[in-house]
Amino acid sequence: MAHQQQQKPRRPDLRGRKCDFCEKQTQYMDWKDYPLLKTHVDYFGNVRRRFLSGTCLQHQKMLRLAIERARFMGMLAYRK
Amino acid sequence: MNPAATDTPEVLDEADVRIYEVAVLLPYPMAQKEEHQTIKEIEAIFKEAGAREVSKDVWGQRGLAYEIKGSSEGNFIVYHQEMDPGKIREIDTALRIVPGVLRHIIVKPPKGYKITKYSETYKVWLKERESASEKSKREREEDIQKRIADKAKRQVKREKTAKAEAPVEAVDKEELGKKLDKLISDDSIEI
Repeated sequence: MAHQQQQKPRRPDLRGRKCDFCEKQTQYMDWKDYPLLKTHVDYFGNVRRRFLSGTCLQHQKMLRLAIERARFMGMLAYRK
Repeated sequence: MNPAATDTPEVLDEADVRIYEVAVLLPYPMAQKEEHQTIKEIEAIFKEAGAREVSKDVWGQRGLAYEIKGSSEGNFIVYHQEMDPGKIREIDTALRIVPGVLRHIIVKPPKGYKITKYSETYKVWLKERESASEKSKREREEDIQKRIADKAKRQVKREKTAKAEAPVEAVDKEELGKKLDKLISDDSIEI
């Protein structure tokens, strides 16, 4: 019983999440849209995993391309 | 000569012209003369290629995520040019040589792309961001004020209830005194 009480609560199931971009029906992600890109980049400058954010593969690829372009132009950091 | 072969290049020229997005990054603390010169050179390259300017967006001062050639701040200029795709390589090589240009990028936006001026949207976003932080501060202050007001109201209520309870007791005493007086003054009662 004591062992069961010490167990941490299970984290929520992320598999059922829907892609935000699919809901908005985005066809293209602009590398100049800083407020959008900033939300999909973590503190260290890495692109957020799609498992956690819930974006689909198609939109994740678009997002990665936009972020890479923004990084090249000095808007986003490669690595903090 | 086949007449169809002569017709095709003209048709292709009309069909092939499409909009390209060319963004240029200049260092921000830059002398006005140098800046004018570099912008003139860039626009001369577009003219040579026979491009038609659709829009020009100057972003102004922007902080860079990392230092590029010793400058930590830059000025973005985004052009949308309608030109022949065959001349993209020429423009790319020419822009690479222009002095004072830190970075440049040429992007082929998809069909049906709406040109938006991100210099304006960025300013709006900055304002909203500030307002969001201000809002949270305001909400906190309002919460504290509400709590203080509620406390004051409770205290007033308590005082009122205390006062209301006190006179009821006094009335009772008065009534008791009157009754006693009546009883004492009443002659019908024989003790």
